[in-house]
This record gives sequence, C-alpha cells and structure tokens, in this order.
Amino acid sequence: MKRVSVDIGGTFTDCFVVWGGQYIETKALTTHHNLAMGFNEALGKACDTLGLGLEEILGKVDSVRYATTLGTNALIEHKGPKIGMLVTAGYEATVPLSRARGYGEGLDNLGQQDMPNAQRPDPLVEPHMICGVRERLDFEGKMVMRLDEEDVRRQLRELVDRGAQIIVVALVNSVVNPAHEQRIEEIVLEEYPTHLLGAIPVILSHQVAGRKGEYVRATSAIVDGYLHSTMYHALSALEQNLRAHKYEKPMLVIHNSGGMAQLNSTDALQTIHSGPVSGIGASEHLSMQAALGNVVATDMGGTSYDIGIVVEGGIKHYDFNPVIDRWLVSVPMVHLVTLGAGGGSVASYDRMYKTVKCGPESAGSDPGPACYDRGGMQPTVTDADLLLGYLDAKNYAGGSISLNPRRAKAAVEDALCDELDCDVIEAAKLIRQKVDDNMANGLFTELRARGYDPKDFTMLAYGGNGPLHCCGIAQNLSIDQILAPPLSSVFSAVGAGNMHQLHIHEQSLYMVLYDSNTRHIFDDYDRFNAIVAELKEKGTQDLLRQGVPLEQISHDLELDMRYGNQLVQTTAVIPAHEVHGPGDVLAIISQFSTDYGKRFGEGSQAPEAGIRINTIRVAAYAKHETVKFEDIKPLPKPERSAPPAPDSHRTCHFVGFDQAFETPVWARKDIVPGVEIEGPAIVASEVTTFLVNPGWTYVAAKQGASWFLRNEAPITRH
Amino acid sequence: MNDMSTRAKMPSTEEITLIKKFLDDTTLFLGPDPEIMQNHDLMPRTDIEDAAITTVSDAHTVAKIRDRIQAGCDEGFEMVEQMGAAPGAKWGDVITGVYSASGDLAIASAGGVLIFSALVHHPIKFIIKNWMNDPTVGVKEGDGFIHNDSRYGNVHNTDQSMILPIFHKGKLVCWVASTVHEGENGAIEPGGMPSMAESPSDEGLKMSPFKVVENYQIKRDILTFLQNSVREPKLQYEDMKVKLFACLRIKQRIEETLNTDGPEALVATLRLTMENVRAEVKRRISEWPDMTVRTYIIQDSTLRENCVVKINCKLTKIGDRLIFDFRGSSPEFTNRATNTIVAGLKGMLAQVFLCYVWPDLPRGQAAFAPIEVITDPHSIVNCSYDAPNSQSLMSIFTGFTAGQHAVAKFLYSCPEKFTKVHAPTFNMINTFIWGGVSQHGETLGNLCADLNGMGAGATVNRDGEHALAPVFATMADIGEQELNEEEVPFLQLVSKKMTRDAIAPGKYRGGQGYTMMVATKDSEQWGFMTTAQGAKIPPLQGLFGGYACGTYPLCKVKDVDVYDVLMNEPERFRHSIEDLMNEQPFDEASYSTHHMGMGFEISKRGELFMISQGAGAGYGDLLERDPGDVIKDIEEGLISPGVAARLYKVVFDAKTLAIDFDATEAARAEERQARIARSTPYAEFIKGWNKPKPPAHLQYFGCWGDDTGTLYMGSPEITRRGDQPRPNYMTHPKDVRIAELEARLIAAGAMGDEKK
Repeated sequence: MKRVSVDIGGTFTDCFVVWGGQYIETKALTTHHNLAMGFNEALGKACDTLGLGLEEILGKVDSVRYATTLGTNALIEHKGPKIGMLVTAGYEATVPLSRARGYGEGLDNLGQQDMPNAQRPDPLVEPHMICGVRERLDFEGKMVMRLDEEDVRRQLRELVDRGAQIIVVALVNSVVNPAHEQRIEEIVLEEYPTHLLGAIPVILSHQVAGRKGEYVRATSAIVDGYLHSTMYHALSALEQNLRAHKYEKPMLVIHNSGGMAQLNSTDALQTIHSGPVSGIGASEHLSMQAALGNVVATDMGGTSYDIGIVVEGGIKHYDFNPVIDRWLVSVPMVHLVTLGAGGGSVASYDRMYKTVKCGPESAGSDPGPACYDRGGMQPTVTDADLLLGYLDAKNYAGGSISLNPRRAKAAVEDALCDELDCDVIEAAKLIRQKVDDNMANGLFTELRARGYDPKDFTMLAYGGNGPLHCCGIAQNLSIDQILAPPLSSVFSAVGAGNMHQLHIHEQSLYMVLYDSNTRHIFDDYDRFNAIVAELKEKGTQDLLRQGVPLEQISHDLELDMRYGNQLVQTTAVIPAHEVHGPGDVLAIISQFSTDYGKRFGEGSQAPEAGIRINTIRVAAYAKHETVKFEDIKPLPKPERSAPPAPDSHRTCHFVGFDQAFETPVWARKDIVPGVEIEGPAIVASEVTTFLVNPGWTYVAAKQGASWFLRNEAPITRH
Repeated sequence: MNDMSTRAKMPSTEEITLIKKFLDDTTLFLGPDPEIMQNHDLMPRTDIEDAAITTVSDAHTVAKIRDRIQAGCDEGFEMVEQMGAAPGAKWGDVITGVYSASGDLAIASAGGVLIFSALVHHPIKFIIKNWMNDPTVGVKEGDGFIHNDSRYGNVHNTDQSMILPIFHKGKLVCWVASTVHEGENGAIEPGGMPSMAESPSDEGLKMSPFKVVENYQIKRDILTFLQNSVREPKLQYEDMKVKLFACLRIKQRIEETLNTDGPEALVATLRLTMENVRAEVKRRISEWPDMTVRTYIIQDSTLRENCVVKINCKLTKIGDRLIFDFRGSSPEFTNRATNTIVAGLKGMLAQVFLCYVWPDLPRGQAAFAPIEVITDPHSIVNCSYDAPNSQSLMSIFTGFTAGQHAVAKFLYSCPEKFTKVHAPTFNMINTFIWGGVSQHGETLGNLCADLNGMGAGATVNRDGEHALAPVFATMADIGEQELNEEEVPFLQLVSKKMTRDAIAPGKYRGGQGYTMMVATKDSEQWGFMTTAQGAKIPPLQGLFGGYACGTYPLCKVKDVDVYDVLMNEPERFRHSIEDLMNEQPFDEASYSTHHMGMGFEISKRGELFMISQGAGAGYGDLLERDPGDVIKDIEEGLISPGVAARLYKVVFDAKTLAIDFDATEAARAEERQARIARSTPYAEFIKGWNKPKPPAHLQYFGCWGDDTGTLYMGSPEITRRGDQPRPNYMTHPKDVRIAELEARLIAAGAMGDEKK
C-alpha cells in the first residue's frame, strides 16, 4: 500500500506516508497563507527519508487524504461571506435568539452561570440580513400557507441590495417537505442565473441536515454557507498543488462523521474538527488491529484535553447536535469532548475551600507557563511538572524551549505557598493532583453517562502532555493499562490514513412502533422500508459518483428511538434493514431496550409509555485497505527484558508520597521492544515525556508503542 | 381567682414532658411544620459530622471528593434532562442534588433550576423528623420518597421530587434527590399552575413527602393512584422512573466514595463544603458598604382581576449581616393563587446571588444560608397553609426582582465585583400553557418553553441580551417548534419575531422580547391559558435612569379560522400583533385585549391568541445612548423610527437612516433643558405627590408610603396590621360582572323583579 495522509493543524502540518512496509512520520509548520507550502515541506521530508522525489511519490500513491482545522479557524476568526437568510415568516428571530441558551454553548460552567456577563457570540448572519417569507408547512409537511413567490423575490432583492454574498434558506418543516425550499432555490437562479457574474450560491437547510429542529438546522446551513467559499478555495488550491505534482486521483477530505469523501462530495460543515476526529479514527483502528477491546482515547496538549470513546462491537458514538465553536448544529459528528485542562492550565488559590484550583484559564503558548520565561507570571501545570522533576529544563520539546525553574518556583510560591502554608513542592503536588483529578472526573462522567465502567477500558494517551499525566489520571479511575500509541506524534494523520469513504443520510419522522394508548404495534412496513431504501440509495449514489464500484458499497442502519415523550434519542444499530412482520418490529424494540438499559441502567426502560422512531439514519461506506500495525501488545512478564543503564537520574516528587525519589531517566530511542521499567521512572523522547509513577510499570512494544501497566500489588502509600 | 393563678403557673419540666408526649401521641395530621419551613439556614453540626471532620479535614482531600460528587450530580442531571418526558425536563427545568444526613443541600448539579433543590431540604427534614422513627413508615435502604406539595417545601405543585436516603453499613450518611417541573398535576386547570384555584383543594395533587419506592422499585399501587389523579398518566409514570434512576446513578458515585475514602470522608466533605461556602458569603457581605436600599415592584393583577399589589423590599447591610425586609408587601389573598410560601421567596433570592451576584459560588443551600429575610405573616410573600399558591411564581419572581434591583445598588459601590452591575431581568412567564387532547389522541397538559426566553437587563457597559434565560435557571431552552408541533395540535404561526417597540430604554437598553401567536389546528379539545403580570404596569424597575420594560397584554382574534385565511386569502394575514390588532383584517372576527391572567380557555380551530415575551430593564440615561446603536435597533426591527426619535432624541433621515449628529446633539441639549424646566424642588414635589392613602378607584394591596406596618386590602378603608393576619377574600370576577350589569339594568330601569 502506498498512501499519503495529512493533518493540517493550527501550528503543525503532520504527514504520514505509507510506502510499502515503511511508515514515515514528518512535520512542518503550517503555512496559513498557502497550505500547500507546509504540505510540500512535510512531504518533502518524507521524500528525503525514502530517497524519492515528490512527483514520484504522488504519482504512485493510491490516495492523498486531508484532515484540517481550516474551517474551525475560519469560524473563530470570523472570516466568511455576508450571508442573507430566508426563513419562514414569524421565525425571523429564531437564529438570533439561538434557543436562548446559545449564549453559553461552548462555554464552561462559570461562563454559563454568570448571567450579567452572558453575551451571545457575534452572529454569522446579522439580524437585518434575515428576512421572513410568507409560507408554512405543518409537522407532516402538509401545506398551511402556500409559498408567496412574489414575496420571495422581493425579500431576495432586499437581501442582495444589503450585500448578501450567499443565500441560506431554512424553512420550518422543510425536512418533511422540501418543496418550498427547492422552489426558492429555483427563484434565486431565475433572478440571478449562474451564467451571470452576480450569481449567488444557495444553501438549502434540508440538504445540509436531515433532522427536525428549525434552529439547529438553520445554524448548520449557516455554518456551512459561511465556510463554503473559504474551504472550497483552500482545498481546491491544495488539489491543484497535487495536480501540479503529478497526482492524478481525486483528493480525499476527512469528514467529522469519521469517514471521508472527494472534495466535490464534501459539505464545508463536514470538515470541522476532522483533525481530532481522525485521532479517534486512529484509536478505533488500533483497537481493532491490536485487539485492545474498549478504548478511551485521550489527547492532552497545552490548553485542552480531548476525550473520545471507542468500544468493542463497532458502536459509534456520535454527537447529533454538536457545538462547533459557539454554534449548536445538527450533523452527526464523531463524539469528542474537550476539557479545559492542559500543560498551560493556570493554578490559583481557592479561597473558599482553602485548596488549589486549576483551569479553565490557560496561559496558552504566549506568554505560556511561567517557566517559559516569556513573561508568564501565573503558575501552570507545566510549572508544577518541572518543579516535581519530571521535565528536563534544558531539553524540553526536543530542546526547542528552554525552561527556567526559578520562574516556575517564584510563580508557585507567589500564588500558592503563603496561602496554603506549604512549601513549593507540596504546592506543585497539589496542582498536579488537581489537574489529574479534573481530567479523571471529566473522563469518568463521559464514560459513565454512556453506561460504561472505566475499569473495562484501556486508556490511549497521546498529545504532548498525555504520557506525562496518564498514570495520575488512570490511578483515579481504576484503569489498569495505558497505551501511548505508535506514531503518536502524527496520530491524527495516521487516522486519516485509515478512514473509509462514508456518507451518512438521515430522515426525521414521527413513527410510532408501539402506541401505548391503542396498544397497537407498528405495521406500516412499506413506509419504513421505503424510507430506508431511499436513504440507502442516496448514500449509494454519493459513492458511485466518486467512482466506487457498487459491489464495494455497504450500509449500516441506525434508528434514533425513544420511550413516550422523552427527549433522549438512544441510537440502536439494527442489523436487519427491512421489516416484514411483527417479529421484525419486536426485534427492533428489543435491540433498543438493550441499548437503553446499558446506558441508563437496567430497569430504566419504559416501553409502557410507547416507543417511537424519531430518525432513521443510513451510513453508506466503502472500505479501503488500512495500515497494518504489528503486534504491539506488551510481552508477557517472563519474556520482558531489563533496560539498559539509565542516562541519568533526577530527583522527582510524586503525589501521595512524602519522600522524593531518585528517578532514573532513559531516552526513548534507547529502549527496545520488550524492555520493562519499574516506576518511578522517566522515558523521554523529543516530543513527550513518559512518566512512570510509583506502582506502575513501563513496557516498550513494537512500532514505538509504550505501555503503562498498573502493578498487581499496589505499593504502600505513606 | 386562686384557681386561676394556679392554672397559670408555669408547668414543671416533668409536666412539659408529659404534655409534649400527649400532644405528640394525639397529632391529628402532620401538616407543614413551621419549624422546618421558616428556617433556611444550615442545621447545626451533628456529633457524627464533628467526628467525621476530626477524622478527615484535609482541604485537598475534601476538594477531591467534592469534585467527584459534583460530577455525579452533573451526570444525574444529564440523565434526567435526557430521559425526562416532561417538557420542563427537556428544557432544563430539572436539578439533582446531594443532601447531608440532616437534610441540608450540600452539592447541586451545575445545570438546572437551583430553586428546586434549594427547597427540597424542607421535605427531607420533614421525613427525618416524622417518618424516620415512625414504625408505620421508617426510612431504610432501598426506599424512595416522592413529594410535590409546595407547603412542605416547593415552588409550586407542578414540581415533583424523588428523594432517596443513602446508607452505609446500615447508617444513614446522606440523601440524594432529583426534581423536575412536571407540569400536569390534576389541578382544576391543565398544566399544573391553575390561576383559577381558590383554595389548595383546587391545586391538584398535594403530595406531602411519602414513600413510593421500596427495594429501589416503584410501588405499583401508589403509582396507579398517582396516574389516576392526573391528566397525563404516561408522564407521571415515565418521569417517576427517570428521577429514580438518576438518583440511583448519583448513589453509585457516592458509594464509590464510601468504599474508597470511607463514610467519614463523605460526611466531612458535605459538611465542610457548606460551612466553607457560608463563611465565604459572610466575608463577601462584610465588604459591602453598610447602608439600606428601599425598592418595590408592582403586580397588576391577581390573574383573575386587575388590581395593584405591592411587593415591598428594604435591603439593609450591617457588618456581615444582610437583611431582606419584605414587610409592607401585600396581604395574602385568601382565595387567589398568587401567594407564595416564604421558602419559595428565599429560594428565588438565592438565585439572585448565585447567578447575578456571585456566579462563581458553588450551587447549594449554604450560599443563601446566612442571609436574613423578614416578612409579615400571612402576606403574599409568606402565605399561610390555607391559602392557594399555585401561581406563586407571580410573587416569587417579583420578589426576586425587588431583591435584584436593591442588590444592584450595593454592587455598584462594592470594591470587589464578581460580575457586572446590571438592571433587572424580565421576570414573567409570558408563555402559553396548554392542554387537551392532541392530534394523536393523547391527553396532555403543559406549557410552551418560551417562558425561558426572558429578556436580560442592560449592564454597566452594554445592552441586555434578548430573550436570554429565565430568572430561575441558566442554559434553559426555548426549544424547537418543529419538534413541539409533532406532539401538540397547534402551530405557532409566529414563533420568534422581535416585538417592535416593546422596549426598556436607557443608555443601554434591556434585551427585548419576541412575539408568539398560536392557533389550534388539529383538535377539537384544546385550550390555552396565560399567567403573568405586566399587562398594565411593568413588573420591573430600571436602573440608574434606565427605564422599565413596556407592558405586554394578551390579544385574541376570535370568530375566525385563520387556517382558512392562510389557505384561501393568505394576503390578509399579518405576522404582527400590532398589524393584526390595528388593521383588523379578517371580516366578522372579534378582536380583544386582556390582562395576562387568562384562565384555561378552549380554543376553536384557527382562533388566534397572541402575546409577547418581555424585555429586561434599561440602564442609565437614554439621552446618553449612542445614536448609532439607536439606528441599529431600528434596522433590526426592535424600535420604530418614530419612537426612536421621540425617546432618544436622535435626528436621522427617515429613508437612509443617516444620523445628523449635530442636530442630535442639539435635540438632546434641548431635552435636557426641558427636563430642568419641568422639574420642581424635592420638597415641593413630595408635597404635591404624596397622598395619605391609596386612591379609592384602584384595588390596592400592601403598605402605602413610609408606614410599612399598615397593609391596605383593596380599599383605602380596609386595612390590617402587618403582624395581625385577616382574611382577604376577592369577589368572583363573574359576580363582579353580574353586579355591574345589574347596576346598569337598574340604572336603565330594566331590572324588573329578578333581584328580589
């Protein structure tokens, strides 16, 4: 297999090249003004390793895949066109009011509680650019008020006169009857035909999101419209760059649904967060290949801690209404939770409880932690890590940043020691304990809210600070094994290299499987089967259009279901895609009951209140060849070998231990697969520090994988 | 005489014990207990808590355990929000909490309606006091108690709680509870908040705390009784189960702590958490300036009739004491539902501090524990057991606003601020409550989530946000109409459109409200009600020169099927209350305007009911408003050009909206001069303004002027002393109407003999 996959992040462009049996990981700085430059540099480094030219590689690879944070950045920076919006008359303020709670989407608890400071984010569509058109459909799609076409033309011209560069149309109940939205698109084309320079793109809400909810669907269409031209131009430029270097095949773009598609089959909205989602994809792939079972993927960087869940049996965890930047939208996105905890998290004194607070404020990278010596005065997690002896002040981040322990000490002393009446080491331990507790609590809630027990999981720890904190976090969760994965420095790019082509189509509906009033069980089999068939056909056509042979296309069917009038919509994966009798219906009900019980507790099911399907969802996909990981499991204990002599020793302090430990330090490159090291120990690489806490054992495995295993008999704490 | 003096002698200790035993043994009925209901402070430390704190007092260990329990509460909250069937659950009108073994709320979920769990400590204390040692009830592992009667500690009877005791090795260590605004409760009007209630007997289910769960199973016989007592048996079933399982999830988290850290750690954590917060609140109060602020808010109806009802508030800070004095507020109404129990008022005042003053404080009972509240007995903010209170929100929310308005003056002068100084938030539930039989044949009774879209007050440096949040919760949701319409047989033909000119002006204007226009479509058994103040007198006050909001009446268009109009003559329909009521475009239809206390009214297909959500108050002098912001408001449809020019004295081109800055400056200077010309010296003003009694033509309730000890009861001639309760009955509005008509008949000489 020959393949190139790239994750274009805010700082680095990560590149992962598979060339036969060789796996090459490279990095270059992201070049925001022209993404192709960063890409070319990163790929160039891989070429150097392989001793091949750029064109030779691009001419022979089966695909080039991109994951990118470009869309996220464009949203944050508010770089987008002036949008004009047509909505159902009487709903003009739906988007500006953002369901009231929109002020707090994407904020932490304090931001959500502080009402006098509550402020909605700057709108992507200004209120005066939203016009109501006279029309109305009811919940079944029946016409209540016909579309007033003259009114549409009038409002449209008004929006264009006010400077609209793109038109978003979001009408009430358009997902059950899109006729009015479609007619408006025709009218826009009549008024501003495509052969004229003044042609205006149109985004129809029902084409962006298939579920009910006029606000979330409208915001989905707005975000899509807002990013449309930015993403198109940037990704097209990348594709042209590839063409210029002899790459003849379609470029593939990673979607936040956990799949990928060609550029011409990609909504801008689908590219948001595709980088982190690729990391979850890599975790899933690794879990399957290495038979790891349930995995919780954690990525701890400088400002945030991302959590994703991969469980056995192929159950995908999606957010169906994810928050993108500050906007609640309605697209299925691989579930990913971000906590405000990282190396830059600021520690402070908690006056009320007489202890330490940590985050969510972050010192970021500028000024960064106090020890960066760039003007930061507040103590951070990285300062604590340095004071506790875990970091090499002269060789941090591969030597790119020199750390100043005196700054760290002064910051911790000033902010905490007097208030806590303790020495600087004790204060640093408290910071360390607090941040690890915060992450453990977040992780615990995340797993438990979905009905899982953390002790049934392997933790995957990546990101610059992941292997440094993973033992402390796992300790709190009864997780016994942690894997710092192979290729972790370009892990998202690895994930991009293992994605399959995937399209998801869904349909909102009101379908009662069991009516508790009439005690009637659903029997309109044709209706169910017709909707599933239509959604399958849409997905099939998406893939056929991209050249995927029909025989390689598969489908998965998911139903969002609920008891009575609940809000919750538990997703049940249904193996049989058609229903032909009561047995099939009862099988669906049974599957739903099982999944619901797992999530909320056995016995919490309430079928007596009735059972409904709210959404039918079909994923159409075509599998691609994937990267083969070697057996990266740790060797059995008797087969493990002793480490070489350590490079050095450092005095380290650990939470829960009064005494300091003279801790041996190794370079990661000197540790061969099969080596076992008892904690406390440090294994340092250019990109991260593997901290082995007392009570844990480090085991090196193939392909650069590193394991942390909790000792069977925990050592006595003092 | 000798005999008399013998009887009057103080009984001995032994005699007191005997008397107490006799009274305890012969209690007819365990009604709400004033000892429990009047106290909002923390219970004293118990010996067990003392011992636990001696064993585990390390602040960092306590912090770790607290965070874990907090995560458990948040997890339980998310479960209820997700699994709950009541619309209230879906929009965040829920909460979960962990209570000490003595019943105090130690830790509440970060999301949800704090006032719910801030009141649940009362029923828990009732259970502890009465059921714990009662051989016919008892409290044991696996039990669960249900409760909704506000008189035992609740906002109103729509909210139902599930309460579970948590044991460790046979000893009670704490309680967990989950509360949801369920809506329907079998009252005389659907939806659970009847404004027609004339006594507690009209208010539907009245569940004093009782056992409904044993061995973690809901008892089917009691469940059936409860289902049989309400209009929505499905909802009753679903949400009891949901609350139980949410409590069980929190219980799991607590048990993990018990197993890893021991019961002492848990007990110490709960107690120290509350004590630390209480101490911090005292410290913060001590930094405020010593002073007194007086304010009041007016309710303009009882929801049955127009009248003027005063909520009087004096806020005094001395040292580290903060004292809310609501004496002088209206007497309770003996047969109207707008009264509140005092615990409800306190719960809402706690919300002032936790969301609008110190949002950084953890949510729990302790944050309000040291703050004092004084009220008159049997007043509208401290009603008696026999008074109905199903519309307590009217007094709770106006009490909240009085508190918010007074506190703002302190915040302005406070050296350390934890949030911005701000004008009051809009405080009324301007929404439609509905009920009947749906298009799917289900009997329903509940309300539209639009109550959550109250406009925010302006702040010291910017305009208020439109329709931001209800005063009782953060991150609440006004919902998605497409989803609502699947379940109810009416459409919101106008759902979210800013109501023009419904403003609260100021240098910074308040956040505005939006129009709602509903019409029943697919049911012949469907109706609406509305319950709010502010149709004639704003229920707010502006701040530092800013204005209160406008007034928001209910409008109806009857004798029309608007769905016929939409299909056949759509050009006649207007998406604006203003246009429909002014232009009256439907022939044969009747158009009317009302106060916001509409009792449940069956609506025929296509009849229009129209209201507006309200605006938060303005901040600062409106002549200082940036002219550019005035024009932006015009462009966004918030204010009409004429009103903008008249109020703000901004001069602009009517077509282009281009501002003439010089002319604006001149117009404003002229208005300032005009203000001076209109003004009179203070003493002169007082002399002309003050009247000795309220006017006779208004039904006025509450104190008048500086004398807060005398409460007027609807007439300048009828009063009571604040501390001497008297019944305060209102005449049925239909009887009033009949009397009016009869008077007219008599005047016209047409009465005949009917009245004899």
